[in-house]
Amino acid sequence: MSRPLPNRANWLIPCAMAGALLATLPQRSQGADDPRDWLEKMNQALATRNYDGTFFHLSEGRVETMRIVHRVRAGRVTERLQSLDGSGREFVRNNDELTCYLPDQHTVLVEPRQDRGPFLGSLPKFGASVTDFYRVESLPATRVLGRPVRAIAVNPKDQFRFGYRLWLDEKTAMPLKTQLCDSHGRVIEQIFFARLDMPENIPDSDLAPTVRTEGMRWVRHGARQDTASPALSAYRASELPPGFHLTVEGAQSLGEASAPASHLVYSDGLATVSVFVEAPREPEPASGAVASSPAAPAEPPMQGLTRVGSGYAFSTVVQGHQVIAVGEVPAETVEFIAHSVKTSGGELPRH
Amino acid sequence: MSEQIREQVSAFLDGELPDSETELFLKRLTRDGELRESFGRYALIGEALRGASSDRVTKGFAAGVNLAIDGEPVQLVSHAKGGRATNWWRPLAGISVAAGVATVAIVALQQRAIISGVRSAAPATAQNVSAAQVAPVQNTPAAREALSYTVPASSPGTPAGIAHSRLVNYVFAHSQYSSGLGQRGVLADLLIEDEPAPAANERAAQPRNPEARVAP
Repeated sequence: MSRPLPNRANWLIPCAMAGALLATLPQRSQGADDPRDWLEKMNQALATRNYDGTFFHLSEGRVETMRIVHRVRAGRVTERLQSLDGSGREFVRNNDELTCYLPDQHTVLVEPRQDRGPFLGSLPKFGASVTDFYRVESLPATRVLGRPVRAIAVNPKDQFRFGYRLWLDEKTAMPLKTQLCDSHGRVIEQIFFARLDMPENIPDSDLAPTVRTEGMRWVRHGARQDTASPALSAYRASELPPGFHLTVEGAQSLGEASAPASHLVYSDGLATVSVFVEAPREPEPASGAVASSPAAPAEPPMQGLTRVGSGYAFSTVVQGHQVIAVGEVPAETVEFIAHSVKTSGGELPRH
Repeated sequence: MSEQIREQVSAFLDGELPDSETELFLKRLTRDGELRESFGRYALIGEALRGASSDRVTKGFAAGVNLAIDGEPVQLVSHAKGGRATNWWRPLAGISVAAGVATVAIVALQQRAIISGVRSAAPATAQNVSAAQVAPVQNTPAAREALSYTVPASSPGTPAGIAHSRLVNYVFAHSQYSSGLGQRGVLADLLIEDEPAPAANERAAQPRNPEARVAP
């Protein structure tokens, strides 16, 4: 069996997470073997390359095969993510919107995205403080997919965040494989590519969905002006795990909620936790209801811990308001933050 | 699964499968659902066997896999700590469908685990945190340092039901601000095929958004 062609190597880019890693690295002047230099190389490649690959996503013993096509052109990123395992679902996103093709549900959903500039460039930037909470170190050199790789670990220093391991191709610094790990080093999720092309140009046709949309229901979520009420905006986390700080505050319209929720984003540079604060939801009329139709029952507040993907969500009620903390972090972290949410003014907001 | 394939899986996970076989193996893995299923189990077992020392190079994995497959069941490492979050990461059923991306998640996301009003008997603690490590919250009254933290017990009488669709809304909204990996993880999860949902709940998967239309 011949080796892959240079532009069709068996290594890949798992994702822009690499960029996040790089962005967290402090400026320094160390040797070429410094693992942080390798992460910088990886980030540079991610920021400038087109790629088209097939990868496997392993989590909880399940293996899913997916294809990703990623194009950077004139500072704009377009990406198509496709399930190859049966559901046929595809997501296509660009700087303006995310379109979700769900053939198994006969539905196409379109969600506007706030333009935050180039996808990779929108990753958070943090200074040297990130090394207060993570150790970036080299692991023994090895081979992945038959290629020599640099193995790098980004280990959390406490239980409030997850860590990463990356296997970077020696020639290109692109990650062949990535793992998300807990603070004990146990693997939570891993991704590795089976095929990767890195063409100079990717035609529009490769970014077009393969799903046939005839007869499918289209649901388009129009742009909304999101402003949370002053009462909701007064809530903040009064305590935070070490290293986390507020990076974004705003409002977010969520589903059928009648009013936007306050949305706070806390991050340590790598890990990110969103906190949503919502007013109690009022009962809503059923779809297509006439005056005499019974109203839909009010949704009860959520309380408890939920695993979502590789992270967790924790829901609680604070002074009558629904508070949800969600992020790719351990359960302790979302619980910690959710339980600390209070009104900054110390008074109960009025509705 | 043949012994040859088993050895290939083990060698691949050890990074020891020759180049000449790797490409064929990956092609087969892409096409063969049964092989992927077995591969997933092997990978999970392998991580369980490696345990906390998994940051070292994974040698001798084949022996471990064979032991696990042929011998007693292996106690697998669970992502959920101490069983606090029971994994039921299955299709959302009995949920109302909202508009926009929320709907995507509702119909597609396999929600993984919810505990409603159930806590571990042993509270999570965050101790030995240096005050110097605590960053202040911007633009807010100072967030206090977390010198020691104990997750408080839930109050009794917590509502048993959780609105799954709402939770998915939050997850999706969060994904826009999460790191690239987290964002990709959310999207990858959404792409994963659901298991069959109870027929009684199928009606719940009908969007109520008035902007919905059917393509000509």
